[in-house]
Amino acid sequence: MYKKKTGIVGIIITIIILIVLVFISNMNLENLSYIENLVSTIVMPVQNGLTYLKNKITGNHTFFEDINRLQQENEELKNKNAELEKNLREFEIVKNENETLKEYLNLSEQYGNYKTKPAYIINKDFSNYNNVFVINVGKNDGIEPNMTVISEKGLVGYIISTTDTTSKVQTIIDTASTVSATLSSSKDNLICKGTIEESGVLKASYIPTTATLVQGDKVETSGMGGIYPKGIYIGTIKRVVSTKNIVDRYAIIEPAVDFDKVDTVLVITK
Amino acid sequence: MKNTLIIIGIILVFLILYFLQINFFNWFTIGGISPNLFVILLLFIGLFAGKRVAIPLGLVLGICLDFFISKKIGISGIMLGTVGALGGFLDKNFSKDSRMTIILMTVAVTFIYELGAYLLNYFIVSTTIEIIPFIKIVLIEILYNVILVIIFYPLLQKAGYYIEEAFREKKILTRYF
Repeated sequence: MYKKKTGIVGIIITIIILIVLVFISNMNLENLSYIENLVSTIVMPVQNGLTYLKNKITGNHTFFEDINRLQQENEELKNKNAELEKNLREFEIVKNENETLKEYLNLSEQYGNYKTKPAYIINKDFSNYNNVFVINVGKNDGIEPNMTVISEKGLVGYIISTTDTTSKVQTIIDTASTVSATLSSSKDNLICKGTIEESGVLKASYIPTTATLVQGDKVETSGMGGIYPKGIYIGTIKRVVSTKNIVDRYAIIEPAVDFDKVDTVLVITK
Repeated sequence: MKNTLIIIGIILVFLILYFLQINFFNWFTIGGISPNLFVILLLFIGLFAGKRVAIPLGLVLGICLDFFISKKIGISGIMLGTVGALGGFLDKNFSKDSRMTIILMTVAVTFIYELGAYLLNYFIVSTTIEIIPFIKIVLIEILYNVILVIIFYPLLQKAGYYIEEAFREKKILTRYF
């Protein structure tokens, strides 16, 4: 009798569970969000704490990984930097060489008609009224006395003596120097001499009485005298000094070459 | 032996002065005028070592300078030899213990050196004579040399007496014994 009653209760409970399941499965879930909220309120703080803890542990791990990576990166960058610095130094050297070669090229192009030999100034006279310097080419390079020396800007002087490897150049501003010159505009002839009256300028005398000299007029070699070829630029007229007798008037010429700064010259070998 | 070492020392000093003169005093100038260190050197050698040392040294060192840079060989040689002789002459007639005497000697010797060199240049390489600009240049050069002598006088005097002691020993012995 007891077994029969227990079987009926079991069947009823199973039917009720089925009915509840069918009922729940057919319900709109949004109506259950308050239950979800309740669960979230209870569970999320714990979950958040656990996530934070986990992230912290994982983060520390990457931190150590980052240090190693950064050190490696730093080392690589240092090497790259050293290499770039080395390249920069090489670039500077090449740049300087390039500038010097350009200067030589400009000089050669400017005076293309002449066969020239480039040279560096290696020594300068210390005397207060002489202006002589030594260049690094000599007999071995085909240099001979009386050859003309020019620079990018104009006439420098001529060779007075040579050794096997060096040559002495007497500049046009030396007091012993005399250059036969001509005015570019009027073609009047002048004689330009070095002077100690004013540093780094030339004194032009023997000016024809009919000649009209204007400040800024260009002066170039006349080709007379046997040393300097014709048409090499000397400089410009700085001022004209008039005297009682017009025959004695003279002009001060500003040479195109700055003799304090010049360090590269060309020797005209032919 | 000591004398030889001193001569070698003087040649080394000459080389140092040469590089100073060519490089440093080429831009460290008063109104574009540089001093003449070789005149000072030879004057002091003449004063302290005597003309027998100073004249040949002046000649040799001057000719070296001419070979290095000058237009003609011999001008600096002759003039530095003259400065050495003047140093020896001044030593016999004036006291070198007074700073003022040394300054006056420097003035006179620098002027004589520059005037001689200028005239020799005029006769040998036909430079133009320009008296007033030349005097201006020489006056500034003298001033510069005097300033250098005033600054370096204690050092020059000390070195000078050391040289004198070495070179004058024999002379004293021959005079008194």
